[in-house]
Amino acid sequence: MALDDVKEWIYGCTRCGTCKDVLDIFVPACPAGEMYQLESYYPSGKIAIAKAISEGELTMDDEDILDRIYTCTGCLSCEQQCGVYHHQHIFEIIQAVRTEAVTQGFLNPAYMVMIDSLKKDDNVFGKPKAERGDWARDMDVKDASQEKQDVLYHAGCMLSFDPELWEVPRSAISIMKAAGVDAGIMGIEETCCGGRAYEIGYSGEFTKYAEHFLETVSTLNVSKVVTSCSDGYSTFKNLYPKINIEMKFEVLHIVEYLDQLIKEGKIKFIREVPKKVTYHDPCHLGRHLGDDGVYEPPREVLKSIPGVELVEMERNRENAWCCGAGAGVSQANPDFALWTANERLKEAKATGATALVTSCPWCERNFKDAVKEYGEDIEVYDIAEITRMAI
Amino acid sequence: MIEAVKSALIAELEKIVGSGFVSTNPADLLIYSQDMTQAEPRWPDVVVLPKTVEEIQAIVRLANKEKASVIPYIAGGNIGGLTIPLKGGITLDLKRMDKILEVNETDMYTVVEPGVTFGHMKAYLTRHHPDLMYSYAFSPPSTGVIANALMQGLDNLSFRYGTSSEWVSGLEVVLPTGELVKIGSCAVSKGWQSFVPLPELSGLFLGWQGTTGVITKMAVSLWPRPKHATSLSFLFMDFEGAYKALKLLARTRIPDDIIGTSFTILNIDRKAAETHLKAYFYPAQKKASGDPEFIVLSEITGNTENELNAKVEVIERIVREELKDVKLIGPERAPSTTPGLPFQIVGQLGAGGGLTWVGAYGPMSNWLSTIKKGCEIQDKYGFTRTSYTRIMAEGHYAGLRWVLPFDKGDPEQVKKIGALWKEQLEMVIENGFIPYKTPVHAIRTLEKRADPEWVRLNRRIKEMLDPNNIMNPGRWGAPPE
Repeated sequence: MALDDVKEWIYGCTRCGTCKDVLDIFVPACPAGEMYQLESYYPSGKIAIAKAISEGELTMDDEDILDRIYTCTGCLSCEQQCGVYHHQHIFEIIQAVRTEAVTQGFLNPAYMVMIDSLKKDDNVFGKPKAERGDWARDMDVKDASQEKQDVLYHAGCMLSFDPELWEVPRSAISIMKAAGVDAGIMGIEETCCGGRAYEIGYSGEFTKYAEHFLETVSTLNVSKVVTSCSDGYSTFKNLYPKINIEMKFEVLHIVEYLDQLIKEGKIKFIREVPKKVTYHDPCHLGRHLGDDGVYEPPREVLKSIPGVELVEMERNRENAWCCGAGAGVSQANPDFALWTANERLKEAKATGATALVTSCPWCERNFKDAVKEYGEDIEVYDIAEITRMAI
Repeated sequence: MIEAVKSALIAELEKIVGSGFVSTNPADLLIYSQDMTQAEPRWPDVVVLPKTVEEIQAIVRLANKEKASVIPYIAGGNIGGLTIPLKGGITLDLKRMDKILEVNETDMYTVVEPGVTFGHMKAYLTRHHPDLMYSYAFSPPSTGVIANALMQGLDNLSFRYGTSSEWVSGLEVVLPTGELVKIGSCAVSKGWQSFVPLPELSGLFLGWQGTTGVITKMAVSLWPRPKHATSLSFLFMDFEGAYKALKLLARTRIPDDIIGTSFTILNIDRKAAETHLKAYFYPAQKKASGDPEFIVLSEITGNTENELNAKVEVIERIVREELKDVKLIGPERAPSTTPGLPFQIVGQLGAGGGLTWVGAYGPMSNWLSTIKKGCEIQDKYGFTRTSYTRIMAEGHYAGLRWVLPFDKGDPEQVKKIGALWKEQLEMVIENGFIPYKTPVHAIRTLEKRADPEWVRLNRRIKEMLDPNNIMNPGRWGAPPE
């Protein structure tokens, strides 16, 4: 989306500041603004920058200006708090400036590495494509490119290439098998969904991956695609329709599928998991989906696990504080990403929980890194991992 | 500012607050150069975000040394262009000083830092002191408590207690020369009680738009949260009826709050809140035939349901008996509006990034002629009638304004709003109303009409406190150009 496409929204903001805090409880909503405090880091400041660039009052040949634009996790909390007519387009405005930067050739070095890696190896981490299926190497799971199955499990880039997170897709596969689900994976043939490329301003790359994904999955004749990646899920559900990509198969996030399988009695719990946990709503599984935000299924899953006590953080569901990893921030500005994550860990700890559970590998990775960096005493799990403990 | 001086100043500022809280980036300077009004942008040279009183003192001393202006800033939502740096210099963004330092349950006050907003205050009281409340404006939650009180805002207890500066019970101020001074009982004792029999030095700072110092702490009154509340609405077919009713309601001394607004603005606000679509105030949206001209809302509270009902009955009876000749619908009982405050006024903030107004305080005796003339000026410019009033201090005076939301993307509308605003400004002053949160053009207009000795006294006070004229210069007390 170009700046001209969002012009109508650029003029919507009076900089009233409502986006800064969560309505009603008035605690911080915007990670970038909260960390840096300068007005230019808040959503309203970024809109002012977009307006000034659009009117030629500011130019993009200034690293500090680009820094403001890239220092946004795309969490959409601002869109949740703002009530003015442009409120559902704030991140679109930021993305439009990012796209403008790419178009004008003002490229962020961290994102150039990501994009080069995408082009070469179909992932944003600079890892060899040949390693994509390694997480399932010793697992008895169908190869979807060779066999027929009912469900395709899409691991996504983060879970495929981060060995410390391999327990997440492995747990998902194990649970599905235990529930009698006929599932397969694409392994080395799996590709990126393209969502990250979209968020950092490379819309051409995004379209390429979206078309490729659709083409690949359509040939498999699966009834549904299940993923543990919230970013991927949001991309399938939210971004693909924006470029008129219509999927003829059902897409479910693993939390929805687990909830469904538990309610159908297909998952039987045989062990207690004596843990007091709090649940972190990933932005891509919540606000990015608007009214279709997946808020209750993960809570239903956690409440159904014997021994698990679920407590809520002050900012939850559509008002959840971001983990800090989104929209390319964990690659381009790790300090900001980890600070944001640690703010969330402190909030989790304040509930008395000993573990934070989430449903997004980007969140989990960033939280684990923040624990290492800041030393907050709390365990971090994906919902599939904690579910598997009870099976 | 000369580049060499600027570089030296920035280096010193970075030593004081740390480099992460000093910016000269054009993106920052641009943002602090303008606000939601039509005021001409003026860029600061540097933006600084201090965290402590000592840092502010050091910045002010440095500014004196370098003869650099200092403009205190909290949220920038004053709707008067008051934080736009007329002569460049240092924008002092105080949002990092955001602590509620004390709440005294018995004496019913709180001491806050400048970055504390209405939102913070409400959340804090709800959580820690649920039996107490503060008074909020019909404004976004990001509004600064200190800024609102300093700028004599009108809030939802203004019918009882007047402007928000009237419930200030103490100050701590960094003077323009860097000294730290306490004002009120805190100067001579440990408390911040609401009144002390001492010279009223708070008048050296309240209403001065940050031209006489930086307020670093303020004590403001709190009140018991009423257990029962309701709102009464009255729809009037003409201003004459509304005027008669407002005077009558005020003299009952029953309500906590009496506000009124053009029916047309209420319609646009409601639609914007429901649909989240852009609000259009221009070209004018006329009221439909048979629609009321003006709506009045009155907030009534009680310790018991019986007390509340008795108060409502008194008002209903007086309206029945005394307003027989007035064309009105009501009063109708509705849920209290107080729990929703502060809130984002979606319609008025949703017209295209612009919002301005001519807001003024003046005598009830001139209310009718003034509000009618203001609306007629809006008619002349083809702009929707958007009058808004609050009856102050049990009817001793009234707050009156015409809210002017506009589309900053439409140059013709921006130009028209500027002309409309100026004409309304001249008119209100002519009618004995004095603009509040006074934009610089309005200050100069008032100074031309004011008692010359009053103007000279203002200048002498400013010069005495701020010999180098560094604090938000060009506004109140500015030397003649």
